[in-house]
Amino acid sequence: MSIQDILLQQLANGLILGSFYALVALGYTMVYGIIKLLNFAHGDLYMLGSFVGFIILSFLSDYIGSGWAGILCTMVLSMIVVGFLGVLIQRIAYVPMLSAPRLSILITALAVSMVLYNTVMAFTDGQYLAFKTDLGFEGVELGNVFVTYTQLTLVGASISLMVVLQLFVHKTLYGKAMRAIAIDQDACRLMGINVNKIIALTFFIGTSLAAAAGIMAGTYYGSIHFFMGFVIGLKAFTAAVIGGIGSIPGAMLGGLLLGLLESFGTQIPFIGTEWKDVFSFGILILLLVFKPTGILGKTEIERM
Amino acid sequence: MKKSLLLSSVSGALAGLLMLGNVATSADLKIGIMVPTTGSEATYGKDMENAINLAAAEINKAGGVLGQKIVTMTGDAACDPQQATSAASKLVSADVTAVVGGYCSGATMPTMKIYGDANIPMVIPAANSTKLIDINQGNAFQINSTGFDQVKTAVGLFKAKGIKKLAIVHQGDGYSEDLAKLTREKWTAMGNEVVAYEVVNKGEQDQSALVTRVKSKAPDAVFWTAYYADGAMVIKQLRQGGYRNLIAVGDGSNSPKLLEIAGKAAEGIYCFSNPTVEYLPAAKSFHTNYKATYKQEPDAYAALSYDGMKLMADAITRAGSTDKAAIIKALAATKEFTGIAGPISFTDKNTLARSNFVILVAKDGKWLLNK
Repeated sequence: MSIQDILLQQLANGLILGSFYALVALGYTMVYGIIKLLNFAHGDLYMLGSFVGFIILSFLSDYIGSGWAGILCTMVLSMIVVGFLGVLIQRIAYVPMLSAPRLSILITALAVSMVLYNTVMAFTDGQYLAFKTDLGFEGVELGNVFVTYTQLTLVGASISLMVVLQLFVHKTLYGKAMRAIAIDQDACRLMGINVNKIIALTFFIGTSLAAAAGIMAGTYYGSIHFFMGFVIGLKAFTAAVIGGIGSIPGAMLGGLLLGLLESFGTQIPFIGTEWKDVFSFGILILLLVFKPTGILGKTEIERM
Repeated sequence: MKKSLLLSSVSGALAGLLMLGNVATSADLKIGIMVPTTGSEATYGKDMENAINLAAAEINKAGGVLGQKIVTMTGDAACDPQQATSAASKLVSADVTAVVGGYCSGATMPTMKIYGDANIPMVIPAANSTKLIDINQGNAFQINSTGFDQVKTAVGLFKAKGIKKLAIVHQGDGYSEDLAKLTREKWTAMGNEVVAYEVVNKGEQDQSALVTRVKSKAPDAVFWTAYYADGAMVIKQLRQGGYRNLIAVGDGSNSPKLLEIAGKAAEGIYCFSNPTVEYLPAAKSFHTNYKATYKQEPDAYAALSYDGMKLMADAITRAGSTDKAAIIKALAATKEFTGIAGPISFTDKNTLARSNFVILVAKDGKWLLNK
């Protein structure tokens, strides 16, 4: 492989990885945008999505197999299930804290995260589970760059989810209400918008996107584990901050950028693949120092 | 009403806990088990714990050791140096007479100082980094063949397969780095080339950057020296990334779970393994008992763990007392102890005198002995 081919392959790798990050980052940014909460349990909802998907798929595979049809049904079903779980968590843990100081709700989010992964750990005995699918390794060779059909489909799926979300937020009444609440909650109440309902809807959408990403990860990597949400949660947070937290296009851009940075970072001479995380979190620190609002963020954001 | 119900159930649970702590009476022989029962290596750890407890139950049924009943206590090492240290301190302060355990070398290393300082006899059934040899204070005994033996088996296979360019991937922990380093030294000393020597982070799901790096060096073989959970993902992504040559994995990846997670991608890969139960004729009755007791198949280190407990009991019997120094002396003097995984004798460095590695190959989702 020439250096050109290697860089092209890393570009493909980065885009694939980045589309995962972007999908998870969207939930972070949507929740932050609307109630100014950094939902640290978001990575664990991604994990929960893959486990719910695992259970659903093991039922479905007897009837429709675990090929693309099975995975698609699993994805839709677990997005719904985990979406409602997200709303439930919001009702139980976050709604009572909305008027409390911001730090309290942040700590509540950390607690929710611990409750979620420890529960899954207790049920799975801390073991890795094999996420079995019938997908093969066939793919296309573009020059010397190799991508499998699985990778192409997953990237396609995450891009279409993002497009649908963008349309929803900008073209529907509910989306308009979401944008309005992000600007001024009290004014929205005066205008007759059911604020609590819209916040719940935001949680539902954000959480189900995380669940979709969780199932894609299970399908692609082949194994799931109670702690899998931790690192991706941090990475998605980084992606959201890079793009400008609170901004939906920012989260997509941030995710893709982070994926590319990690892939190309490992290609720097004398630096190995083990430095991947140093890149992402180093960038986070630099960004927080020099441009805390991120690439597409608004200036008045107040940070915790 | 609700509150009082809660209160009574809590106090009931507390009382239960207190009683559990008092089960061991002074006439019992307390032996500590130190294995990971949570975390990524919990599958192996639980399996080892099961096998050790099975051995203890058999010994107790036959009258115990020196007339005393064995009571085991498990400390969770979690394959993490910090957690292992606190588990070891807990076992020492619980005043155990001896310890059987040690799975992850990286997590076992810091505990060896704790047991060594307390002069507690220790039998290590699985951890086999060569670094363990140097820090051994004389109280610990490794009944698994060490990294040196595995390296010999590994380069032997690569040579037989006509490999020229080798890529080695490890995870930066005590066990996998040690095996990777020794393999690199031996392979280059034989006049061959190591084209890629990579480290990946533990628990990282996406390995595409690694795959591209490795593939760009066009190796004839990739040797993964770390554990199965991440190994399965590396293998899967190597194959997805279009790498078609030989893949071999070290003994830490010898698990049916690796084949389950990697699926089709694992077909035809090689594994260097300690003697596992299904390849041991002497382990037949153990195999049946294990399956009957735990309703599952014994995993890679079950046989060695079982031997570890039996060896410890044998040494205590030979020492004729529960005096720790006497037990260590008896362990060192072990001559051809007949374990189900093979005879055990020790070198002057407390390692196994004879290697017990075999080569396995993955076929139709199962490990088979390589012919």
